Amino acid sequence: MRNDVRERRVAKGLSQGDLAQRLDVSRQTINSIETDRYTPSLPLAIAIARFFGVTVEEIFHADHN
Amino acid sequence: MPTTTEPTAKTSRKYLATPIFGTAMGLVYLVALSIAGSPVWGVFALAVMVAFSGALLLARRRSETVKGLLDRNDERITAIDLRATAITAFALIAVILIAFVVQIARGQSGWPYGMLGFVAGVTYVVAVIVLRVRG
Repeated sequence: MRNDVRERRVAKGLSQGDLAQRLDVSRQTINSIETDRYTPSLPLAIAIARFFGVTVEEIFHADHN
Repeated sequence: MPTTTEPTAKTSRKYLATPIFGTAMGLVYLVALSIAGSPVWGVFALAVMVAFSGALLLARRRSETVKGLLDRNDERITAIDLRATAITAFALIAVILIAFVVQIARGQSGWPYGMLGFVAGVTYVVAVIVLRVRG
């Protein structure tokens, strides 16, 4: 699932480690989400969206093809 | 809506569970081997398990993966742990089934592999039923 986590994180001037710490997950998990290798659970996706002040749909883009 | 376990005093010590279990198993080995008349091997087994537990705690400081596996507060590493456990179980069951077939082909009873396979099968079915009921 494509997402804009990296762009929004960089725009906030945060490192992957900073974001990981804010969300209480590992830096590896943030990296995997940003590179589309891991799709987060719904609670984590909501937490990420809330952190950036957007809706889940605005940051995660489901591909239906 | 918590995405992870809240860092309470209880969960902050969660990472000690595996090292404590490893050390406890070392003590069990010591007792078992002492009963069997090999206390020296028992002490060796305990030392190995204590060293393993200590190595885990040291690795936790340097490795995010080990930290995640011990702390269990990262959903991705927890999912990796579950999948790795499933792969391990699959390999183990395959070995049990092969050993059982080889044994009965040799005209033997199949013990204990038949019983191990039975336990694995029943455990799987019960787990599916319980997890299905729990949603």
